[in-house]
Amino acid sequence: MDARRNMRLERNPELCHGCRTCELMCSFHHHRIMAPDKSSIQVIRRNFDGAILWSVDSSCDLCSGEDGPFCVKYCPYEALRSVTR
Amino acid sequence: MTELNIKGGLAGQILRVDLSSGKISTKETTTYARRWIGGRAINSALLIDEVKPGTRWSEPENPLIFGAGALVGTAIGASRLSVDTISVYTNGKGSANVGGHLAAELKFAGFDHVVITGKTENPVYLWICDGRAEIRDAAHLWGMTTYETEDRLKAELGDEAVRVGCIGPAGENLVPGSCIMVDRAKAAGGSGVGCVMGDKKLKALAVRGHGSLNVARPEDFFKATDVALKKVKDSPAAKKMWQKTLAGVYAADPCGATWDFIILAKNGREECWEVEKRKRLLDPRNGFPKYQNKVLACFNCPIGCMPFSEITEGPFKGTSGEGFWVNTLMLASWLDIPEPEPIIKAWLLMNQLGLDGDFATAMMAWAFECFGRGLLTKAQTGGLDLTWGNGEALVSLLPKLATREGLGALLALGPIEAPKRLGQGSDYFCMHMKGQPTLEPFRAAKGWALGVATSPVAGRHLRGTVLLGSRFGPKDVDFEAHVYEGQARHVYWQGLAKEIEDLIGMCVYVGTWSGAYALEVSDYAALINAVMGLDFTEDELMLLGKRSRNLEKAFNTLHTDLARADDMPPRRYTEEPIPSGPYKGERAEKDKWNQMLDEFYDLHGWDKDTSLQTRSGLTALGMADVAEKLAAGGKLIER
Repeated sequence: MDARRNMRLERNPELCHGCRTCELMCSFHHHRIMAPDKSSIQVIRRNFDGAILWSVDSSCDLCSGEDGPFCVKYCPYEALRSVTR
Repeated sequence: MTELNIKGGLAGQILRVDLSSGKISTKETTTYARRWIGGRAINSALLIDEVKPGTRWSEPENPLIFGAGALVGTAIGASRLSVDTISVYTNGKGSANVGGHLAAELKFAGFDHVVITGKTENPVYLWICDGRAEIRDAAHLWGMTTYETEDRLKAELGDEAVRVGCIGPAGENLVPGSCIMVDRAKAAGGSGVGCVMGDKKLKALAVRGHGSLNVARPEDFFKATDVALKKVKDSPAAKKMWQKTLAGVYAADPCGATWDFIILAKNGREECWEVEKRKRLLDPRNGFPKYQNKVLACFNCPIGCMPFSEITEGPFKGTSGEGFWVNTLMLASWLDIPEPEPIIKAWLLMNQLGLDGDFATAMMAWAFECFGRGLLTKAQTGGLDLTWGNGEALVSLLPKLATREGLGALLALGPIEAPKRLGQGSDYFCMHMKGQPTLEPFRAAKGWALGVATSPVAGRHLRGTVLLGSRFGPKDVDFEAHVYEGQARHVYWQGLAKEIEDLIGMCVYVGTWSGAYALEVSDYAALINAVMGLDFTEDELMLLGKRSRNLEKAFNTLHTDLARADDMPPRRYTEEPIPSGPYKGERAEKDKWNQMLDEFYDLHGWDKDTSLQTRSGLTALGMADVAEKLAAGGKLIER
């Protein structure tokens, strides 16, 4: 975690398709189960205008103990990256 | 195949709801999954086990079954929900398949399948949340469009994350071509599943889940997912799709083979729409792309094929929504409308009304052609001028179709009854397979056509059609799209691959079909084994696919009199040669078609004369019980 203390996630809304893979894989990091409700990331798809509301809460540890943040690694659209705070 | 010990992937429960009695119960999914894995195969098994032959679609005993694929909620690309029931067109197997986020939500709510039987007098919706279900009054929702229904339910339930699958006015009015709309934009379109839902007076499913799914072998799962994601990212077609959407892929090449082969024009009479019109529709500055402002993906999908469009000027100003544009291209070409604005408007209107695009397009195009030939007069159209290219007429006629008003009442009778009512030989101009409208080509693209003709769900294009060969299929058979030879092997293989995709809920565009061509059967095996803790080989998966296909075949045999003759193309395509384009002069030749059918039935081990299944074939598949059912109905070949 130390090396990641000064990092945060950044999403490019132009590339994000709202697939929620980040949400799913985040929960897999934390609990090794698939549980969007237990994810640090929340993605809300607003169907009436196509908006994608994306947020990350304080439980995000940038996937401490893994090779790197799962949300970044598994985003099919390369819409996420970790950047210096 | 011995019974399987499944350790992950499934939510665990099958929900059963009887609308007549109000009784709600559950059963463990593994009861069925140990033999059939999941998705459509379990839906099919439930149908064949529980529905008496002879039951018609409108009887309360007809179950409407929703089944999430076994890998939905875990594996990348798996988002699909299979909806199975008795078809309103054939009274045989009805099946539709839909993406979006509903299937995953259902699993996080604790259910892999939902079986709905019975009917109510007053409209209801089903609220499913975290292992519980409740039948709720929907009188206030009846009459609403699918958009209004979703908005209202989300507001009432106070949660934007609630997922809704619902019918629109078309389903309420029992229009056969009614679909169930998911997330507003994705349609479970075929077999009239929305009509069955409307007949049950079930307006919607609203689902919310906060639960979880297990992955049996996490390390294997990482490996399989890494491989799958790399394949998607390395796929040139996938890249095109998520950068430009499917419409973009075609827009990039309006002169491409797809247009010459697949997208017919003017009620299917012409195989090849004029290039200038294709260019007009897809023009980067004035065509579809002008109005497309973002692209959205289904749950956990790496392809993202759904554009969100908005029209900000002109007579259709204010039109906006998510919609799928490959089928939309056919709406344009079948009615000869090259302007994108009325087509976008009409497509989104169909989504709101809950009308199946193929049904509405085919019935409209039939009316347009009949009008042009003087078989339908202005008095009968309510004054509408149904001349090719009249987009305004299309837009004004669609709501009438959904509510059975004026000419809409005639079109809503469907492709058998409507021409009977109009007479004058108009049945020749109504394109359908086994009573279900079809927009598919039968003359130039031989493998595509064979897949459509032999589809267990009457003339739909997802059960074995091949455009450019089954990319991952037989390597020892050459594939040329416009020749008859060799097609059956590819169609057979592609059909089985699709069965596996529907077991696990994988989208065909991510998988083996004419989309990204990214994942193949070996990837499915790796993902299933990792998630569910199993040890399938590719061959064993193909065997599972074969069993799934044979279940549907048996259901059709038990419930209908469909026979070999019904697997032949519509009469128009056997009689009229293609009038123009690269394949000018070709038509569906009956003797060659019969050869393809012989080969196809042989590959499946079905009897060539009758197309019926055999006892030895079913027994070899571990389906002796199904053979017994067929034998009891006198519909099994005893060899």
